[in-house]
Amino acid sequence: MKVLIVEDEKSLAREMKLFLEKAFYICDKAFTASEAKKLMVENEYDFILLDLGLPDNDGLELLNDTKKMCPNASYIILTARGNLEDRIKGLDLGADDYLPKPFSLLELQSRMQAISRRKSGNNDPIVEVGDFNIDLNKRSVKFEGKEIELSKKEFDLLSYMLLHKNRPLTRLQLSEHIWGSFSDDDYDSNYIDVHIKNIRKKMSAHAPVDWLQTLRGIGYKIKL
Amino acid sequence: MLFVLLLPSLVNYASFQYSNYYLNQQKKKVLSVIDKNGIDYYLQGDSAFASYTMLKEEYISLLPAEDNHVRDTIETAQRIVGEDTLNYRILTHQLTNKNKNYILEIGKTTATINQYNRLLQRFTFYILLALIFVSIVIDLVYTHVLLRPLKKIVQTKLLNKRFPFKEHLSPVKTSTTDFKFLDQSLIDLMEKIHEAFEKEREFTSNASHELMTPISILQTNVENMMMEENISEEQQEKISSMMKTVNRLKKIVHSLLYISRIENDQFAKSETVNIYQLTAEIMEELSVRMETKSLYFTNQISSNINVKNVNHDLFFQLLYNLINNAIRYNKENGSIYLRDRYEAGQSYMLQIKDTGIGIKQEEVSLIFNRFKSGKDKSEGFGLGLSIVKTIISFLGFEIKVASDFGKGTVFTIIIPQDMIEVSH
Repeated sequence: MKVLIVEDEKSLAREMKLFLEKAFYICDKAFTASEAKKLMVENEYDFILLDLGLPDNDGLELLNDTKKMCPNASYIILTARGNLEDRIKGLDLGADDYLPKPFSLLELQSRMQAISRRKSGNNDPIVEVGDFNIDLNKRSVKFEGKEIELSKKEFDLLSYMLLHKNRPLTRLQLSEHIWGSFSDDDYDSNYIDVHIKNIRKKMSAHAPVDWLQTLRGIGYKIKL
Repeated sequence: MLFVLLLPSLVNYASFQYSNYYLNQQKKKVLSVIDKNGIDYYLQGDSAFASYTMLKEEYISLLPAEDNHVRDTIETAQRIVGEDTLNYRILTHQLTNKNKNYILEIGKTTATINQYNRLLQRFTFYILLALIFVSIVIDLVYTHVLLRPLKKIVQTKLLNKRFPFKEHLSPVKTSTTDFKFLDQSLIDLMEKIHEAFEKEREFTSNASHELMTPISILQTNVENMMMEENISEEQQEKISSMMKTVNRLKKIVHSLLYISRIENDQFAKSETVNIYQLTAEIMEELSVRMETKSLYFTNQISSNINVKNVNHDLFFQLLYNLINNAIRYNKENGSIYLRDRYEAGQSYMLQIKDTGIGIKQEEVSLIFNRFKSGKDKSEGFGLGLSIVKTIISFLGFEIKVASDFGKGTVFTIIIPQDMIEVSH
């Protein structure tokens, strides 16, 4: 997957590139709208991550232009402006998603994954975790063909950890994904423990769940 | 005032004057009778004559007298009439008839005079009352007309004006310079307040935006650090705590931006929300938290109450923050009650009651302030309740807090009657 990061803040662009490359994306960076346009002529991208506040052009205008140049790419708008109007305009112009700054890189990757899954139809395979089969599209967890009932939040948590498997995830990162803007500091992250406890209880009734590890003082990790 | 104080004695004086006049008239009548018919008409051969009316209110007497001449006098004195001793106002007159001197006395009881007196007093009292009433009415009408511009100034400039006085004010028409001055000063003052508020709002909004980018960089840096493969557990813990700090920063900036966005009118108020459904939605969102604390929850909200002209997301956030606080500051095995009251023609009231730790009396007034925390500084109220307050005033609601420290808190949201719709 090829990604173009259009972001004038150099250190932010660098961190995004670093992160996405670890997740096996191939990344280019552009700091201005004109650089971005040049790169788009030369390359074909799967994802274009677009900052709205560019020094030489308004991001929304750029989006309008580049939609013609790279019609097959998926666009995610990244912005510090974050007002509703920009969001609606961006989605109207054909952006696939909208992520207000400051965002978590994990969240960015999860959004990108969701877009790919949506665009590629039902191709996403069923994930095997231990002795369980997890269908991310149908949102079901099965053990030997028998469905295990998880609540909406429990499934969200499980699939988020699966997406970021083999990475240490802090309670904070998890709670931010689950509760979004309602998330409330340390207080909320304690409830992650409750959800994890429930997931373990429900699944371990069928088979061991030692792949779901607790990192003391930090959070959790799915090790596969 | 002097007139009112002097009134009784004036009336007294007047009634005595009148009775003196009356006695003089009687005297003239008697004298003319004597002139016409001779003194024997009265005396009938006796040397003296006395007569009184049935109730002894008046009497007349003719007594022979010595030579010495006595002038006419009028005095108040006691006389024995019949068997009673009574107070009389007496006119004494000496007359000479057939070379004999007589003293004529005509008397009238002071009781009768006092009767006049009382009547007269009452009469003047009524007149006085009527006068006072008339003057009050005139005063009221006069001041009403005269002060009409002042009333208008108060109505248009002070009453029902919501902070931060966004709408433009036009001067009230008046020819009185003092009122013009007052009116203009009020307009200027409100414009200044509005300007100051605008500046603060702009600053908050700009500063928050400016902070977003550096926070983004910080957050992505920390996240990447967390994923480094060869770091120790100790380092991981440190990074995790850094992440928390960055997150706190982020939350503060987010909240400030959220508040300034509401104050910027960036939310449309065009939705109709069913309160019961909204609370049920929030309860579901928060159910895990309640279970963890073993809280007992009662939702007695009527299912048929809708609120129109609101923003669903803001209304959700408002109740979410309040209910979340009710959970957060509750004790193990505590309770949360949601209830409402609505009678046609009155405002709708929604109550969120908890059996939590409560708020100290002296801190109740501070809880809605941004960044204000209690005296002990251990735990600030944060921005959650500032957001509540901002949403409340944006949606045109009202909020009241009552708290019993150590026992619990009740938040009451009051929604104007004209925003309520009852579905059937």
